[in-house]
Amino acid sequence: MTAGNYDVLIVGGGITGATLARELSAFDLRVAVLDKAGDLPSGASRANSGMLHAGYDDKPGTVKARFCAPGNKRYRELHEMLDFTLRPWGSYVCAFSEADCRHLEKLKDQGARNGVPGLDIVPGDVLRRREPQASPHIVAALHAPTGGVVNNFEAVLAFLDNAQQNGVELFLDTEVRRVLLTEGGGEVLGVETSRGIFLAPVIVNAAGTHSGEIAALVGDESIQIRPTRGEYFITDKAIGSMIKSFFFPCPDERGKGVTVARTADGNLLLGPTSVRQGDKDDTATTPQGLAEVMAGALRLVPSIPQELTITSFAGIRAADRTEDFRIGALARPRGFVHMAGIKSPGLTSAPALALHVVELLREELADRISMKPNPHSIPERTHILRFAALTMEERQDLVRQNPAYAQIVCRCETVTEAQIVEAVRRGARTVASVKMWTRAGSGRCQGGFCCPRVVDILARELHMDPDEVTRHGGPSRLLVGHTKAFWQKREAHHA
Amino acid sequence: MPEVPVDVAIVGAGPAGVAAGIGAREAGAKEVLVLERDWDLGGILQQCIHPGFGLRTFKEELTGPEFMHRWIERAHGAGVRFSTNTMVFSMDDDGSLWTMNPHRGIEHVVPKAVVLAMGCRERPAGAIKLTGTRGAGIYTAGTAQRFVNMEGLLPGKRVVILGSGDIGLIMARRMIWEGAEVEGVYEIMPWAGGLRRNVAQCLDDFHIPFHLEHAVLSTHGRDRLEGVTVAKIDAQRRPVEGTERYVPCDTLLLAVGLIPENELSRMAGVAIHPGTGGPVVNQFLQTSKPQIFAAGNVVIVYDLADNVSDEGMRAGRNAALYAAGDLPCGGRRFEIKGGKAVRLFSPQWITDGGDATVFFRVVRPFECRCKVFADHGLFSQTHRYARPGEMNEVHLSARDLRSLDPGVTSLTVDVEEV
Repeated sequence: MTAGNYDVLIVGGGITGATLARELSAFDLRVAVLDKAGDLPSGASRANSGMLHAGYDDKPGTVKARFCAPGNKRYRELHEMLDFTLRPWGSYVCAFSEADCRHLEKLKDQGARNGVPGLDIVPGDVLRRREPQASPHIVAALHAPTGGVVNNFEAVLAFLDNAQQNGVELFLDTEVRRVLLTEGGGEVLGVETSRGIFLAPVIVNAAGTHSGEIAALVGDESIQIRPTRGEYFITDKAIGSMIKSFFFPCPDERGKGVTVARTADGNLLLGPTSVRQGDKDDTATTPQGLAEVMAGALRLVPSIPQELTITSFAGIRAADRTEDFRIGALARPRGFVHMAGIKSPGLTSAPALALHVVELLREELADRISMKPNPHSIPERTHILRFAALTMEERQDLVRQNPAYAQIVCRCETVTEAQIVEAVRRGARTVASVKMWTRAGSGRCQGGFCCPRVVDILARELHMDPDEVTRHGGPSRLLVGHTKAFWQKREAHHA
Repeated sequence: MPEVPVDVAIVGAGPAGVAAGIGAREAGAKEVLVLERDWDLGGILQQCIHPGFGLRTFKEELTGPEFMHRWIERAHGAGVRFSTNTMVFSMDDDGSLWTMNPHRGIEHVVPKAVVLAMGCRERPAGAIKLTGTRGAGIYTAGTAQRFVNMEGLLPGKRVVILGSGDIGLIMARRMIWEGAEVEGVYEIMPWAGGLRRNVAQCLDDFHIPFHLEHAVLSTHGRDRLEGVTVAKIDAQRRPVEGTERYVPCDTLLLAVGLIPENELSRMAGVAIHPGTGGPVVNQFLQTSKPQIFAAGNVVIVYDLADNVSDEGMRAGRNAALYAAGDLPCGGRRFEIKGGKAVRLFSPQWITDGGDATVFFRVVRPFECRCKVFADHGLFSQTHRYARPGEMNEVHLSARDLRSLDPGVTSLTVDVEEV
């Protein structure tokens, strides 16, 4: 069974694979994105803080330091063109002691060397004049005006959506099991997956936490992912405007520490923790982790009402043993390219990494693929209409055109039936993907009201039984059957 | 935007809103419009197909839909207008409402008085800081009730229930009736959250184990729920070492509290009481905005739909009187205070311009003869018990209030053992 011939296969449809797919869609290439998940984004791209780091954190000379600030800049260039939510709210690293203050100086210096613009250290009372809820114990803060936050679901979906509009093909539920090589193992031929064989002269490993396993399929054991779990809380939007930007503590050896951020959609996000674990997919939250998150958040912003959390989650950072990104083409087998070890600031760096890998393909693999521009490629796309953000007049016009815009499905986030139908048209197949596309179910009741309605719409639009609808693909069925099924079966039997 | 002037607008067509419509019409309001976002009238009672409703109002035992049917018939008879499939986006601080309906688009409803009757919503898992995996199979009890009773779909086959609020108890029995197994109900408090009669009829009668002072510590299973870890907890709500137990299950239902749904109220600047989570009201159900009234579970979460519809009637009547300029205002004002045994109460203030009933819940069970009272000898009644899951009432007459010493500015309600 052969699924097709391509020029480039991208293994992994997270932010790394998505940004690369979008850049490659500007060329006349057949590109396929393969992902084992049932909906996207999954993995680290689904569960993270959504932060656009300014780029002062990373040691000059590292790959991370090279791509973070350019990635940040690239998001600002692209977010209107690709219509995903980006908030350039700025960020503060907060110092509580003399030692912390010295650290701020070091970060500022590092930032200057990494090309981060506008860094400034402000005294605690200046911070509190701008941000009255900041802790009275903060003595100084490093302000990074280019720090920001994106809706990470929308960002991944935007890059993928634009790529697909320009001809890139996306295959979900498609797990890569083997990399096919030429005799002798010198060059790649394609991959064998759970859904057949895909042939291509170039394969890009953008498999996130599983990039080590994909590397091992071609005998490269050098990439060793050490999964690091981070736990988070999300609060009710009612307190989202307590702060205007986001706060980091001074980083320690474990990472950037527990932050308090205002999300792109106006909630507060608290977290993450940073705990090394063996499992690459275990995203369970823990009482200890969440307690640490709350304590860390209250240290920065003591007035957060603890009872206003609406959900918690955990994500896994795909940190390589080198703690740096692993980007490059292998000498053997030829045609195999790594975009691995993408931990923080991976989300921020991804669009810059994508541009870098495009150049790399052009320069190092020109014998395998030819990079001619795609004359039909369109660099823009629009997101599904955000009904909640429209004025009453705009809503009125829409409702007159299509009454499905007057059917509110998610009451907390004001998401209409028309938006959910459009999400399905663009590829949403699960309740979680509808949520990531439209925000239905991400409000304060967490899907209590809209989940049955979303199940109903998915079943109707996809011509399936409601009991086949899943939460996030695979065996995550929401319902186990129909009530009185036993009696119905019996009646059918007797009839 | 088209403007729709009315005398009384009511937000929500559950037991509070439908009764408010009747109350408003019966008190003389001409144009009474009830706005409902669902396709049908009845609110959450549409899915409450179990009996137990209407014992006080109709002196017989009805299901939720039957109970609502009677109220809706009466409302139609009284000339109440309903607009279903109509979302109220926002309320301005003058009480006017921005609404949307598929046929009429967006309208600006401008009433002389408003009754808020939005009810309440269930507390989700994130609010109780439940930890573990987030696979399919974790639902609030009300969501599961909608799947089973309205959609004919079964959420799972082996069920654990966390919390013993009434919907959780009702769903325990329902899941048994639908052929599922209910492993047990776990409640962190030392007493039931719901009505005693529901514990008897929904758990005891079906031999469902009821574990007090127990918590679900974590959930397991990445795609579909596979089990939960439960444990006994101590007075500080910490798990007692050695009592952890893994319970295989495919479904966890949460009945861990109801939150009055006051987003619209906040938009209009209505003062919210931190204890109840509902608007601060007086005995006329009038909020801090004189033209805005509120009734039912949006004010304080009741146990019985009868209480909710009673309150709706009163709020509707008072809103109509207000619209006509006939609502008694002024007079002596008394703050209501809760005594040591009182967890939350409503209304928060009253005047001597009319009789008043104060509803309140106790902080702990009194499983003995006890006195439910208001100070200054205004009210005292002896009960066989007082329980956190069951609302208490104190009745105050306007005549008694007027006879109080001029120095009295507040009244305390409380419960004491006798």
